[in-house]
Amino acid sequence: MSALAEILFGGLFQGSLYAMMAVGLALVWTTIGVFNFSHGVFMMLGAYIAWQLVELGLPAAVAFPIAVVVMAGVGWILQASVVRPLIGRPNIVLVVVITTLAAGSLIENGALTIWGPRSKQIPALITGNTTVGGVGVSLHQIAIIVITPLILAALCMFLNRTRLGLALRAVAQNEDASHLVGLNVTALYGLAFAIAASLAGLAGIFMGGYRFMSPVMGSDPLLKALIVVVFGGISSISGPIFAAYLIGFFEAACSYYFGLYWTPALLFGVLILTLMVRPEGIFASRSRGLA
Amino acid sequence: MTDTTSPVTLSHTAAATPIAPGRTPWKQEAIGFVLGFALLALLPLIFGDTYARHILIMAFIYAIVASNWDLSLGYGGVFNFGHLALFGIGVYAYSLLTKLAEFDPWIALFASGVIATLAAILVTIPILRLKGIYIILVTFGFAQLVMQVIISQSAITGGTQGLVRIPGLYVFDHNMVRDGKSAYFYIALALLVASTLFLRVFVRSRTGASIVALRDNEEYAISRGVSIVRQRMLTLAASAFFTGIAGAFYAAYQRNASIDVFGMSLATIILSMVLLGGTSTIYGAIIASFVLTIFAEWMADFGAWRPMITAVLIIGVMLAYPSGLVGMIKASWGAVAGRLKRPA
Repeated sequence: MSALAEILFGGLFQGSLYAMMAVGLALVWTTIGVFNFSHGVFMMLGAYIAWQLVELGLPAAVAFPIAVVVMAGVGWILQASVVRPLIGRPNIVLVVVITTLAAGSLIENGALTIWGPRSKQIPALITGNTTVGGVGVSLHQIAIIVITPLILAALCMFLNRTRLGLALRAVAQNEDASHLVGLNVTALYGLAFAIAASLAGLAGIFMGGYRFMSPVMGSDPLLKALIVVVFGGISSISGPIFAAYLIGFFEAACSYYFGLYWTPALLFGVLILTLMVRPEGIFASRSRGLA
Repeated sequence: MTDTTSPVTLSHTAAATPIAPGRTPWKQEAIGFVLGFALLALLPLIFGDTYARHILIMAFIYAIVASNWDLSLGYGGVFNFGHLALFGIGVYAYSLLTKLAEFDPWIALFASGVIATLAAILVTIPILRLKGIYIILVTFGFAQLVMQVIISQSAITGGTQGLVRIPGLYVFDHNMVRDGKSAYFYIALALLVASTLFLRVFVRSRTGASIVALRDNEEYAISRGVSIVRQRMLTLAASAFFTGIAGAFYAAYQRNASIDVFGMSLATIILSMVLLGGTSTIYGAIIASFVLTIFAEWMADFGAWRPMITAVLIIGVMLAYPSGLVGMIKASWGAVAGRLKRPA
């Protein structure tokens, strides 16, 4: 019983964080067709901005939303400076890999210079601990497990029900037609990056509440988000979300039965096998080609 | 290329090399090649101290790894993010062959290249059907798997501790330690010359042209009878051999091996070299390796600001010249040449 509860809880918790990261990555990938390697740095920066605001004396309830909004601005600026000028160039996918990597390195080293290498922690959403099914958990983790699906549901509502969200999906599906019907494609690119950055920043705030923060805290989640996106496929927004939780459970089960050491190797082994059988991701429909 | 008077019949003769517009004639390239490397061979005369030579040796190693990556990434269009794993396999193959199996260092050096090639063929099998971003994941996963295996087999590989006291290379009875690193300098240079020669001949050949054709128009290339399976395997295998040898040389030169070679930071540095130099040129990656390695040394005084300045410069070059340093050199050369011509 306790084993099952532990795997279930660990999977839900990790899955929530992965989903927050992966959705932003998938949004940028579908809309602009580039892979944003500074996404992990967004996560770190969001956590550090929140920490700085709390340190200045703001209550967490004010500091966290401000940090998320600031991150939206950061995402917009990054898009305008290192991605937008390259759109339309033939080798954009490769060049954006290096410009976003370089921008990530710039922000990471900037954070190191400003805030120093000492580990920091931001206040938890809810302090305290409890026991669920024989497993001791913190209320902060439970809060994350509850809040994440709500945010993701809100994002799905935005993308499927509002005019702006539909415009974003239209750009993702057919850029030329979007231009023709008069959508401001440039602004929508910026919006995709802004949403992605604020989701990553929020994930960083969640993570900074239960684990110590460091300027390199985003690199491992970025890797996991990349796996999630490829594993789930990106033809719909729900694909990466399901995949995030699936991988969260898989990791929790692996580290319970085989130990933490072998989990990454097993994860990659399973992923390689999955990709050989279904290269377009397990939740993707075969209708849309993704090169 | 030999029979330029009849370009129409040229494409029908089996032995003819396809001529792309703007392609440098091979004689011109050969002269530039010999002059460039002769200049590099003279460098130890200027830089007498061992530290400057050490920097140059590291630049040569990076140049081999980066230019070979350009073959799969630039020419092949295969997003092989496991390239550094091939380098790491070279490092560990050499270390284990010389230390445990007690092979002769030179034989181990060659064998490491062969082992890296075999590993590349192995990793190509799952990516034969995949495209773009999916190739990144599988190759990245391959690199992680190799690293995990090395960490978990710590009894043989030293795990996270790494290996020390790896046998170095030898040249007859020459003292490799007290010669101001000049022996290692010339071995590294020789490896770079061999690797570059191999890469340039490869990409200029019909096989090279067919690989570029697959990258640029896969359907058309396949319809003309180019086998994607065979060419992709060939591309990765060809890019692996000298990468593995560079890894072996790195282990022999440093006398130790650690799993750091599988880390993201080294991969990012080498990838910067490939893209900053300009893909699909081979020479671009080599020039960028020199520029970045020497630049990093030159800025050592800036401490924490160094990676930030480097990042800003990389972004600046990529935004202004998306074809990299080679594009920048070509553009400035064109401007100079245009200005020289104008008064006449």
